[in-house]
Amino acid sequence: MTAITVIDEPENPLRRAPLVEGNNDFTSVTDIIAGVAEKKTPRGWYLMFGISIALLLNLGAMIGYLIFTGVGVWGNNIPVGWGWPIVNFVFWIGIGHAGTLISAILFLFRQKWRTSINRASEAMTIFAVMAAGIFPAIHVGRIWVIYWVFPVPNQMSMWPNFKSPLLWDVFAVSTYFTISALFWFVGLVPDLATFRDRAMKAGRKVAAKLYGAFAFGWHGSNRHWVNYEKAYLILAALSTPLVLSVHSIVSFDFAISLLPGWHTTIFPPYFVAGAIFSGFGMVLTLMIPARKWLGLHQLITLNHLDNIAKILLLTGTMVGYAYAMEFFIAWYSGVEYEQFCFINRATGPYWWAYAIMVSCNVISPQLFWFRAMRRNPMVLFIISIFVNIGMWFERFVITVTSLNRDFLPSSWGYFTPTLIDILTYVGSFGLFFTMFLLFCRFLPILAISEVKGVMPQANPHHGHGDDAAHH
Amino acid sequence: MTATANMTAPSLQQIAPNLESRVKPGDLATAQMALLGVGVALIGAGWATGGEHFYFSYLVGYMGVLGICLCALFFTMVQHITRAGWSITVRRLAENTMAALPFMLLLFVPVVIGFDHLYHHWVHPDANDAVLAGKSAWLNSTFFFVRVVIYFAVWIGLALFFRSGSLKQDETGDPAISLRMARVAAPGLLLFALSLTFAAFDWIMSLDPHWFSTIFGITYFAGGFMAFLAFTIVMAKWLGTKGYLKEAINVEHYHDLGKLMFGFMVFWTYTNFSQYMLIWYANLPEETAWFAHRAVDGWGAIGTILVVGHFFIPFVFLMSRHVKRNGIALSAGAIFLLVIHCIDMQFLILPGADHGAEHAAGGEAHAVAHAHEHANGFSAQLGEYLHNVHWTDFGCFIGLLSILAGIVVMNVRKTNLVPLRDPKLAESIHFENF
Repeated sequence: MTAITVIDEPENPLRRAPLVEGNNDFTSVTDIIAGVAEKKTPRGWYLMFGISIALLLNLGAMIGYLIFTGVGVWGNNIPVGWGWPIVNFVFWIGIGHAGTLISAILFLFRQKWRTSINRASEAMTIFAVMAAGIFPAIHVGRIWVIYWVFPVPNQMSMWPNFKSPLLWDVFAVSTYFTISALFWFVGLVPDLATFRDRAMKAGRKVAAKLYGAFAFGWHGSNRHWVNYEKAYLILAALSTPLVLSVHSIVSFDFAISLLPGWHTTIFPPYFVAGAIFSGFGMVLTLMIPARKWLGLHQLITLNHLDNIAKILLLTGTMVGYAYAMEFFIAWYSGVEYEQFCFINRATGPYWWAYAIMVSCNVISPQLFWFRAMRRNPMVLFIISIFVNIGMWFERFVITVTSLNRDFLPSSWGYFTPTLIDILTYVGSFGLFFTMFLLFCRFLPILAISEVKGVMPQANPHHGHGDDAAHH
Repeated sequence: MTATANMTAPSLQQIAPNLESRVKPGDLATAQMALLGVGVALIGAGWATGGEHFYFSYLVGYMGVLGICLCALFFTMVQHITRAGWSITVRRLAENTMAALPFMLLLFVPVVIGFDHLYHHWVHPDANDAVLAGKSAWLNSTFFFVRVVIYFAVWIGLALFFRSGSLKQDETGDPAISLRMARVAAPGLLLFALSLTFAAFDWIMSLDPHWFSTIFGITYFAGGFMAFLAFTIVMAKWLGTKGYLKEAINVEHYHDLGKLMFGFMVFWTYTNFSQYMLIWYANLPEETAWFAHRAVDGWGAIGTILVVGHFFIPFVFLMSRHVKRNGIALSAGAIFLLVIHCIDMQFLILPGADHGAEHAAGGEAHAVAHAHEHANGFSAQLGEYLHNVHWTDFGCFIGLLSILAGIVVMNVRKTNLVPLRDPKLAESIHFENF
């Protein structure tokens, strides 16, 4: 392996920093990315995959136990009827927001740096939505009639309750999953064709057949590219409102109620900001080790990490704005229940959860005001873990503190999760990482064709005089 | 600074030799005077004929136009912080718009004069009103005016900083200025978000001091930014017909501005839907009262008009690429949205305004009773609105918008038309939408 030089120049407004560093051309970019999947499987991968599979099996066992026993195995009880399962659902669905934001919204905003991180983020999105979907599904108790959530005509003339945001969730999340998966797959097609051709050349017949089947006979003709670009743009436009709508509808699960701490009008944009925040946190958690272990420094540069850190600072501060507005309006409203709810959140029995939430989500990203912090992968990785923790606790605080002390003091209680709660949640990471590790091993982890598109060589004027500055 | 940073940006002559960089001396002077004259005349006539209602009409116009100025500041800061290239030529227009903020302080005087009348619900609260007593730490005259000073200090300070930096770069071509502005834009945006939110709480939401909504600041921002984009499109197009900025702000910029305007039109709908739907669904009396006022006295029709005019019609119209790339069609859409923005401000400010000393608690009962006894059909409501609406409810907005346009023209005449030595000027002139 060649030595990798990391470029860390001060920003120069006179020229745009290159998105691909080092002396790379189209061939070397293909080699780097395809090399990840073609090289012999590293030992570390087997180790991580083993752990992930073990956790995944544990998830299966927990779900099996739950179905055969009943939701009583969880800590959910009066007054906290919604415990960890909903917290985990919102946690995972939030993480599933970065991918589509990067691929759709940043695409529409012509943010070319997205090309190095969009593929893995979209994959992450899809796996996170899968992990999210499990929790409401198993929460219904009688999972064998889960199809009742769909408006399927039946002999009982029974319909789902269209007034319930939980049903809107079914539509929102399944639409989001479908569009995200399509978007991801459309982007994959040209790269799968590259993998197919390389596998063919290397004489790996089975691999070539499999990649070929999913590459739909792509051979990079002009006509293919025209259709591809069109489909990509349309999917980006369709996905953009979805990024906002899915988490807005998740926020409705809480906000349409009458409960202080849940019912507040800022919830939809506040949840969206939080989702993007948590999604980018997870992108960093995954990409920083991937960048290091897979040698992707020249493609995922410090500038990329810097940009992600800025988005974390922005969205973390937006979440802080929402916390502040909730507190201010709770006081300003003059509604005693609102006031009690927020004071109880910050100083009641769950003060520790509130403190974790605020320090992880609002305070820790403030480090990113400093450029040196934004460009230090170690600091970024640690803060990204804080973000993941903080965003889980945010959902915990919202869910549990609004319920544990309700309007009737005689029914107040303290929520404690059971071991099953904990193991189920840990198991969901098993699903997520199993999928992600498989993705890293077998699929193009970066969008090869898109990265090439933002290299100076892709500029038709490249090499004609004034472009010399790029070398 | 490193060696490269000591280089300066290429000059306009190198990038676009045919580009007009300044308004010819004396040119546009008539337009400037006419705009200012019409504006002052309209406000004067409104003041003379409007009676006590004038102050509410003035607030409609003021908040509508203030949103445009503030979002010009927002636009400028966002372009710096994102290192945007496409918008450099548009940015000077935004800088010249936000430079109207000191004048907005002057134009705040009628609000100060009408303060007692506008905010009488909390300035002279009912002695038995425990809710208002509870928030008197925030809603009291002294602190209100202290906050006015703080807001304007933040806005004017930021506006002057970004405009003077940009103008200085015109002369020196120093790329370090771009870096410094990008750096200040980050805390600037934070201050902007907080000050705009609380200004919206203070100057609009507190008209009905019992009501509250956490999203209110964001809804005001969303409408204001859309209006800023509409205003900028119209101004740029008009300057284009006068022979200025034609090359600098070309079809590609209109396309992008149109996309942003479309986006924030939808964002306005999103924030207002969030607010309305959640309040409607929960049906708590302390929250629904605000909408109950907006279902009677003709406002029911305006609510519908906002849904159709602030969302459905522009959604279909601006969706088309052809419209966004056609200056005339896009300007027509922009003017339509400016009118709708005025109606949006009316919807926020006017309902319940003329119930005089009748205090909120009584007012709510009135509104609810009213809703039951009156015809609530769209045409009946629209008739009532048209019957009640005072000409100043539009006149003040048009007047203040005209004054703003006059100030912008004045500033445009004084400065270079585009940031001449901005490092990314070439990128802005040559970019294309694919």
